[in-house]
Amino acid sequence: MNKIITTKNLVKTFEEGQVKALNGVNLEVSEGEFIAIMGPSGCGKSTLLHILGGLERPTSGEVIVDAVDLRKIKNLDNFRAKKIGFVFQMHNLIPVLTTLENVQMPMFELKLSSKERTEKAEKLLNLIGLEDRANFVPPKLSGGQRQKVAIARALANNPKILLVDEPTGNLDSTSGQEIIQVFQALNKDGRTIVLVTHDKEIAEHVNIIYYMKDGKILET
Amino acid sequence: MRFSTLVFKNILRRKTRSAFTVLGISIGIATIIALGAVMNGMTTSMEGMLKSGKADFSIAQSGISDFAFSRVNENRTSEILELQGVKDAAGVLLGFYPIANNPYVIAWGVETEDFPLLGMNIISGSAFSQEHELLIGEVASKEWNKTAGDTLTIRDEEFNITGVFQTGDMYQDKGVALSLRKLQKIQNQEGYVTVIYVELEEEANAEEICQQIEQEFPDLVTIKSISELGKVDKGLETLDAATLAISVLAIIIGGIGVTNTIMMSVFERTREIGVLRAVGWTKKRILTMVLGESILLCLFSVLIGLLLGVIGTQLLMLQPIIRGLLTPIYTTDTFLRAFIVAFTVGLVGGLYPAYRATKLSPSEALRYE
Repeated sequence: MNKIITTKNLVKTFEEGQVKALNGVNLEVSEGEFIAIMGPSGCGKSTLLHILGGLERPTSGEVIVDAVDLRKIKNLDNFRAKKIGFVFQMHNLIPVLTTLENVQMPMFELKLSSKERTEKAEKLLNLIGLEDRANFVPPKLSGGQRQKVAIARALANNPKILLVDEPTGNLDSTSGQEIIQVFQALNKDGRTIVLVTHDKEIAEHVNIIYYMKDGKILET
Repeated sequence: MRFSTLVFKNILRRKTRSAFTVLGISIGIATIIALGAVMNGMTTSMEGMLKSGKADFSIAQSGISDFAFSRVNENRTSEILELQGVKDAAGVLLGFYPIANNPYVIAWGVETEDFPLLGMNIISGSAFSQEHELLIGEVASKEWNKTAGDTLTIRDEEFNITGVFQTGDMYQDKGVALSLRKLQKIQNQEGYVTVIYVELEEEANAEEICQQIEQEFPDLVTIKSISELGKVDKGLETLDAATLAISVLAIIIGGIGVTNTIMMSVFERTREIGVLRAVGWTKKRILTMVLGESILLCLFSVLIGLLLGVIGTQLLMLQPIIRGLLTPIYTTDTFLRAFIVAFTVGLVGGLYPAYRATKLSPSEALRYE
């Protein structure tokens, strides 16, 4: 299978080299894989996810995502808009916008009309089973429903890769199970998913688990 | 959803904070509207005094800072009349008196034969012929509820009203007209007038004649339009400078208020901005969103400020003393100025928070607690 993510000897330091968040990470993810990265707090999981998604640049090392060498592109905004879907522990939905409007947020960078954006968002809400909550604002939704809206938002621009950071961290176990089922369904449709989590139960549902410690991937 | 909907909904998140910001800027805008309307009223009134009736220009004493203190030898009127190209000239003495409930009534000391040149039409009654007779303006007649046959007191002297005149100029029509000789006596100004109004022949060159007058009579100065008022009156210039200073102050205070509100809003939404950057929003779009919020706040302020300005000015006009003193005039220019000020406040006030928002690293913004 094609490698959709490759990192070689990836290093990321903060505070002028005083803090080493990543210390030579080598990772390969094949297209269509669903992997989990586990490890204690501060081991560099989220930093790795941010670099893979173009939110941060590495200090050194190689990162190739969907045939794009992230060291060589200047504008990472366009890369993120087209190739990556992010889901975070905190859903960070805009509280004054409806569910339907929140899902449309990433679409502003695409050349779509207002009507096209709305139609696309309606389809995505349908996909995650929240079509009946289209006109609800986030404060009127349950935690699980909010996270589902965040997933729909991540899918807005139809990215090949989903980068997911502790998606069930704020949810009860039933909601957590529902969310993982959504990811499984998306993975079955061919999307590559990289999930960062502490939750061993959730990690059981993925193809491969990677463990990180002190900025390095230990074993699989 | 349109992008503008997002901008609109964002400023409604903190309704009270947005409302107070809008109120703060609105007061600045209302001040600009009110001062503008008053300035326009005063300018129009001065214009009315400078270019009365058919007059092409007026002549006053040179080297003075208040037009009301102009003192011109009335013999100059006949000397001006002899100049080639001059069709008619009328010397007029102006006096300012508290009459009835109006503290600032203009009394025109004129010769009745000069009425056509001054554009004074008698719409009821007849012209004065005796010392203790006068005409009152149409607006004054309505405000004081007086007409021909009634009496009026000026400086403890009683005058019989012989008729009502109309010029079409609000300030002149708020005044009274009496014999030049009588007003000169009242003011101890025998032999002097305040201003000479000059009407030219059709083919005459106003510019050349004005130059000629100023060369031949160094004690005189000619005024062809309101833009030359500064030659004889610094009052409007001073008021204009004060209006400008207050407008600038309104911009600064409003700008600080907007900056504070938008800055707080950006801080509160740090994580959200991080997410928007994560889903692909460019710095330019973040900048547009934040600036849009700032400008929209200020545009709301224009609407409320216009309303407050007009209502406030009209409330002031309910006071007879102020109503007698000035008539506010609302012009498109005043409203345009208020709009430009508000837009500038929005743009300048929102610039720094917008810049800060674009400088947020998406990764750090997502970690923000």
